[in-house]
Amino acid sequence: MPVVDIDTDELRQLAATEKDDDELKRDLFALGLEFEGETEEGALQFEFAPDRLDRLSVEGVARSLRYQYGHDRGVYVPTTNDPEWVIEVEESVPDERPYVTGAVVRGLDMNEGELQSLIQLQEKLHATMGRQRAKGAIGVHDLTMLKGHRGSDDRAKSITYRGVAPDGDRFVPLDSDAELTPADVLSEHPTGQTYAGLVAEYERYPAIYDDIGLFSFPPVINGRRTEVSTDSRDLFIELTGTDQWTIDKMCTIICYALDARGGRVERVTVDYPDRQLDRPDLSVTHKTVSHERIESVLGSDLSTDSVIDYLERAGLDADVDDDRTYEVAVPPYRVDVLHAIDIVDDIGRAYGFNDLEPRYPDVSTIGGCHDRTRREDAVRDVLVGLGFEDMLNFHLSSEQECFDRMNVESDPADSDAFGVSRPPTIMEPYSEEYTIVRTWALPSLLMVLENNTHRSYPQDLSEIGLSASVDEREQTKVHERRTAAAVLARTDASYEDAKARLQAVADAFGVALETPPTAHPSFIDGRTAAVVLDGERAGIIGEIHPSVLVEHDLELPVAAFEFDLAVIE
Amino acid sequence: MKLPRTQVAVLEAASATEPRLISTIAAETDENETAITRAAFELADASLLDVTEETTESVTLTEEGEQYVEHGLPEVRLYRAAIEHGAENAPVSIGELLDPADLDGSAVEIALSNFARKGYGEIESGSVSIDPDQDPDSDAEAAALSAIDSDADAAFSTDVLASLERRELLVREETTARSVTLTDDGVTALMEGVDVADTVGQLTPELLTSGEWQDVDFAEYNVAADTETIHGGRTHVLRRIANRVKRVLVGMGFNEMDGPHADADFWINDALFMPQDHPARTHWDRFALSDPERIDDLPDELVDRVRDAHRTGVSGESEGYHSPWDEDFARELALRGHTTSLSMRYLAGEEAGDLEPPQRYFSVEKAYRNDTLDATHLLEFFQIEGWVMADELSVRDLMGTFTEFYQQFGITDIRFKPHYNPYTEPSFELFGRHPTTGELIEIGNSGLFRPEVLEPLGVDCDVMAWGLALERLAMLITGAEDIRDLHGTLTDLEFLRTAEVTY
Repeated sequence: MPVVDIDTDELRQLAATEKDDDELKRDLFALGLEFEGETEEGALQFEFAPDRLDRLSVEGVARSLRYQYGHDRGVYVPTTNDPEWVIEVEESVPDERPYVTGAVVRGLDMNEGELQSLIQLQEKLHATMGRQRAKGAIGVHDLTMLKGHRGSDDRAKSITYRGVAPDGDRFVPLDSDAELTPADVLSEHPTGQTYAGLVAEYERYPAIYDDIGLFSFPPVINGRRTEVSTDSRDLFIELTGTDQWTIDKMCTIICYALDARGGRVERVTVDYPDRQLDRPDLSVTHKTVSHERIESVLGSDLSTDSVIDYLERAGLDADVDDDRTYEVAVPPYRVDVLHAIDIVDDIGRAYGFNDLEPRYPDVSTIGGCHDRTRREDAVRDVLVGLGFEDMLNFHLSSEQECFDRMNVESDPADSDAFGVSRPPTIMEPYSEEYTIVRTWALPSLLMVLENNTHRSYPQDLSEIGLSASVDEREQTKVHERRTAAAVLARTDASYEDAKARLQAVADAFGVALETPPTAHPSFIDGRTAAVVLDGERAGIIGEIHPSVLVEHDLELPVAAFEFDLAVIE
Repeated sequence: MKLPRTQVAVLEAASATEPRLISTIAAETDENETAITRAAFELADASLLDVTEETTESVTLTEEGEQYVEHGLPEVRLYRAAIEHGAENAPVSIGELLDPADLDGSAVEIALSNFARKGYGEIESGSVSIDPDQDPDSDAEAAALSAIDSDADAAFSTDVLASLERRELLVREETTARSVTLTDDGVTALMEGVDVADTVGQLTPELLTSGEWQDVDFAEYNVAADTETIHGGRTHVLRRIANRVKRVLVGMGFNEMDGPHADADFWINDALFMPQDHPARTHWDRFALSDPERIDDLPDELVDRVRDAHRTGVSGESEGYHSPWDEDFARELALRGHTTSLSMRYLAGEEAGDLEPPQRYFSVEKAYRNDTLDATHLLEFFQIEGWVMADELSVRDLMGTFTEFYQQFGITDIRFKPHYNPYTEPSFELFGRHPTTGELIEIGNSGLFRPEVLEPLGVDCDVMAWGLALERLAMLITGAEDIRDLHGTLTDLEFLRTAEVTY
């Protein structure tokens, strides 16, 4: 979840409040921002769910607090000045990253803290909406260092978004003294190395030029020439990405933050070959929601006046018509309002969900367990009654455990031995111990024995659980089955002990058990049988092979069986 | 007087004048010594006997000691060899003496140190000089060794014995011998006559069928004594809790769902309106399968509707996500990250046919997270998943349902923290008070499914849902601190055998 770092002095100033840190923490918790800890510099860190990305900066959090405190009501949209600057988009722009947007903000007087807050917001937006800069990347520049060139519509202040050859024009990137080509940046500059993967497949790299030359290499790094400092008064903000809406919203959130710092937003013209956009897009959107729906979701009777009051306290505006349907205005920094239901949620939060009285729904249904659960529980009861300790092991395992350590040498996919089959396999597992879904359960029980050789014997263990194998005939291409597995680890464990118990299970469920001899690499030859239940081959029973016992550090015999529960019905 | 048979035997074997060893009585009566000892103390308690104890020391030679009896002490052998090589006149190098003295290995060290200790001579710069006045034939340690060898009770000065014990040539052991003597009461009792009482240890089928049981006394047991430990079979502690949760839910009118653990991302995420570029779907914690890779069988119309919901939203003023949506990704197979995939299958009518409200469904089954394993995180865990479908449901209904559910586990004072999930709105994190510590802890996540989830599935009423890790509830109930004890092959049988049974 996103985390925002907050200097509480700044927050008090921006939210116009005298509250102390503890009170602020409580108020922020009510907004869904949970205190997480402090940074080394003493700023407080708050974690929040990734819906209200407009709260990624102290300015945005302060705005929400002002609404909560009632300092502000309804929708606020900054006024903007007419555009002087144009971003021209050339045909050479990489197909993979076709979109650009931007804004100019003038008249700032940032101290070091405010500058850091801007940089933090930029980074947090990269990490969230920007999907680590892949979907959207922000460049902020000192406007006075830019020299616009005469653009195609004859205006004097144009910059150009275009594609550049990897070994094309050189520029001096941030935190460097050398003139580098874009390819040099990716191989030599630390930031370039970090983000090289984003453009690795590009034929041409994205680049932004002014009259002097290349000054930004999105989404990787800006040029040093236009670096922003506390002396910067006027900023040029450009964003590139794979989705116009996303970068426009990121731009809007930055413009709202700078507006709160006293900046004046000036629009820019984005000049695509086939269309022109006027940005930032600070237009208000509208959702309609019925009074009935609000009452039904909240389970409470409300007056239309109170609904409008809650909406305004949430930073929204609303008109209500004669049918008690609200036309709700949503400010442009909100990225989380996809549907009218999101408006209802805002009303609920403003009302205070915890003030609602819980009630048990007046809905009658009949409950019951699935057949599979009932069958498994019944078999488990019988096994426990026979003295088995019930185990609960992971479904995830490894080929090493399921096959190698069970003395299975052949390719599992070609084997017809019980439990030995083509395993569903994890892509890029974290751990070598968990790379497949187990194909049978006995290896798990042997691992439990292996980990408990210091505990008293006998250790009679059983497990009813899932195992699986790849099977193209299944809808999911995985055959998932439940088996009952059991081991008897005791100094005198024998085939007979295992079969006597298996017989008891078969008798309990009225199925006929036959045990014709068979061979299985995990068991001793001549002491191994197939488990045939009502004429169907369903499992394996026998004495575990000494090489498997030694492999698991066991110093006493183990008799075991496992069978597919599907035959017990 | 009637006494048990063993006591009678001891009483008759004892004498009023001469203490008799219990071991002797045991041998004479052919009883085991423990039984005779017990009988003797019981008689002593009844003042019929006195029991006296005498501690004696016995000495036995070690293997090394026995060797020296046969071959002579190493230092003595060294002295004799030195004399033969003229060390009386001039020092002789040790090397020359080893063979004649039959010394090698650690025996050399032993010989040299004891040689010097006993004053047989001096060793300097690898040469041996001797004191000619010493007499190796009168070595006290050698004499003691051979005397003990022939008679274990032979007596010697404690210094010599201590020295031999230090050299690990002999072992001293203390044994306690108990003797009994008849008291006056004992003599009287014997003169008045003592009979054997018929007591039996074990009730046998013969006693029962013959009717003899009516004429016997049963030997008393020490009923307060400890017994051997047995464990027996028992249902796994986490399984018990899972079953308890199931029972509660069934009692609340919920029906159980069942479905695949390995499933298409479509059912796990897309149907849930999780954008395809959501961090949880690109992050490694997803358990994607490399074999098999893709599902072929998805309901085509539903796929189209879900795609539309992602791209352009659902009916009305809905926007969808500004994220890419690729059907190939939706068809990828993975181990489910939550059992909400089952809810999607059921709500879509894939599992139990088209569902009409009202319905309640649940599952207590495994979900998977590709993460590292530690004391509080598992790669697979049980998720409690539940949902209610009705024509009209409010957040109050949701709150009432969960308050009721957690109440069954002693968790009260439920708080609802407004939250964000891509698939529910409104959404709440559930917090409850720990029954013992009183701490407020997160116990679940819940909400009303969004229209973008329900409309493509063809559901035109309200559905509220919640999820919770069973292990979290189990740790609360059992107080387990390491989740690996509760689940998996690293489990400690002792923990499972002794875990308190809850219900």
